[in-house]
Amino acid sequence: MRLDRLNLRDHGVYLALVLLVLVNLVITPNFLTADNIRTQLVQMVPVLVVALGMALVIGTEGIDLSVGSVMAIAAALLPLYLGYGALPAIGICLVAGAAAGLLSGSLVTFAGVQPIVATLALLVGGRGLALVIADGQLKQIRNQQLLDLGSGSVLGVPLTVFVAAVLVVLVALLVGKTTFGRQLVAVGGNRKAAEFAGLPVRRVLLVVYLLSGLLAAGAGVLATARLTASDPSSVGLLVELSAITAVVVGGTPLTGGRVRVIGTVAGALLMQLIAATLIKHDVPASVTQMLEAVIIASAVLLQREGTGLRLRRQEAR
Amino acid sequence: MKSSLRLSATLTTLAALTLTGCANPEGGGSSGTGSGGQQTASAASGPTCTIEQYGATKVDFKNAVVGFSQSEAEANPFRITETQSITDEAQKQGVQLLKRNANSNLGQQVSDIQGLLAQGANLLVVAPLNSEGLQPALDAARAKHVPVVTIDRKLSSATPCKDYLTFIGSDFVEQGKRAAAQLVKATGGTGKVAILLGATGNNVTTDRTSGFKDYLAAQGKGLTVVAEQTGEFTREKGQSVTEQLLQAHPEITAVYAENDEMALGAVTAISGSGRKPGKDVKVVSVDGTRNAVQGIVDGTINGVVESNPRFGPLAMSTLRDFLSGKGIPNTVTIKDKEYDPGNAAAEVAGAY
Repeated sequence: MRLDRLNLRDHGVYLALVLLVLVNLVITPNFLTADNIRTQLVQMVPVLVVALGMALVIGTEGIDLSVGSVMAIAAALLPLYLGYGALPAIGICLVAGAAAGLLSGSLVTFAGVQPIVATLALLVGGRGLALVIADGQLKQIRNQQLLDLGSGSVLGVPLTVFVAAVLVVLVALLVGKTTFGRQLVAVGGNRKAAEFAGLPVRRVLLVVYLLSGLLAAGAGVLATARLTASDPSSVGLLVELSAITAVVVGGTPLTGGRVRVIGTVAGALLMQLIAATLIKHDVPASVTQMLEAVIIASAVLLQREGTGLRLRRQEAR
Repeated sequence: MKSSLRLSATLTTLAALTLTGCANPEGGGSSGTGSGGQQTASAASGPTCTIEQYGATKVDFKNAVVGFSQSEAEANPFRITETQSITDEAQKQGVQLLKRNANSNLGQQVSDIQGLLAQGANLLVVAPLNSEGLQPALDAARAKHVPVVTIDRKLSSATPCKDYLTFIGSDFVEQGKRAAAQLVKATGGTGKVAILLGATGNNVTTDRTSGFKDYLAAQGKGLTVVAEQTGEFTREKGQSVTEQLLQAHPEITAVYAENDEMALGAVTAISGSGRKPGKDVKVVSVDGTRNAVQGIVDGTINGVVESNPRFGPLAMSTLRDFLSGKGIPNTVTIKDKEYDPGNAAAEVAGAY
């Protein structure tokens, strides 16, 4: 019984991933080259970093729609402060992202606004703010440190991928090994019960949205470094949807109470590979959108079917 | 046109007011910087439209109020320059100008135009967001006998001289053909081409694609298109799609990008793959923004066909001629320039 649950419920995304890789090995030229693997990993970094924060928020039964706009704000701020050096500029972007997260977190926690509404406000207003900050313009990045962050690698591993990997480990530790992680899951599972049990529910929620904002800003910095340009009008457009998909496909339920960090990584990778496969085989964009929808729905259904299968087998015994 | 900008924020209008100063630091957008900027019409043919035929109210141009409805936020060089050009020319001609920006929202553009009419606009210049859907606004203008000049995007089911006065704009099919000609020249006529398409379901995309392919079919049979994928007119998508295509088709020797931003993304992707953009993989695009023309100077881009956004002088002179009783052609096609390694260094200062 336990084995069934592991295989189908939690591991549906890995199964899909393995299948997709196998298919690509057969049909896609140059799929298993180091260059191609690097390309796929580098391209998924911004979505993955955003998805890590999203997984935490969804774990509390919340949602953060503002992530794309927070990326844009970070991208817009970055070139303005590069004069002080890359690190201080990145620091300012991260602080701004955390502040944005704190803002939507406060709306959720103290004003009792529903997460989807609170973060929708920031989704709309945030991009406008980013365009005001940037004077509506795309700016070329010439800071060498930042360009190195975007295109440099250590021992063949691109720096942005390295940064994302460190973040994955940190978030996994936060969820799996800390009191905060257990509180987060408890708040998401049953907020009333968590309150009765005396858990710091408000603090947990505030910190979760703050982290989501912080990670989104980090994603904005990484995306900008890779693009070699700050483009607040298009960076992070619709990233909230990709991130939510990665989280949900990865096995974190929208109803909260559970966070699957490694599943989220697999979900992001799955989405990246689907997009890459379709582009490499020159599938027209209109078909791509529909195919993506079908694949996402199947991945989620696969998990549900896993649940169903498990129940049936339990009954049979 | 550059429809990648799905901006919902109303704040952007605020931004628009401040950004133009930085957009054209060398005054490229204003007329008077010589041949660098101003649009010229190529020979117009076909029926014309006079003020009597149109049934517009005759007003003195000097005392007219011109209403301008912009489609998208001024967040890319094309829109920035377009709005700036209209603004500059209105000031130069001494006419009062009212401006609205629909921020990529069609319903907003209809109410923008109705609002401009209510505010007393006698003449309208409209950059349509879409080739369809503006009929209610056109009807409102018709009811008030206000002539409408549409710019940069043609209304497909509206009739000139009836629903609107005339259309001033580029021939996007021709732009595609000229880009193909540049690519044939840069590659010597053989190679494998990847096309970075613009936004899906956009007539600019369709026209620039069909023009390009038609030319290859006729005069560039040695060039084969191995992939065509949308880069949605953005630099980021242009970069990531090119990375994927170069992995899957290492034999690609040329990229045709349907706007400059995607071409600049492709250049980054090509360098990232260890190849030399402009050399190992030739790149041509359409737009004529300063960054892309600078790319030609730097040797990373091989050619750029201009899509001139400086509509101000031509739009205003068309309206002035119309009011003075002259016949206006149904379509005024702009002559777009072309940048290549031969003229880029000299012309880059005039690019927008």
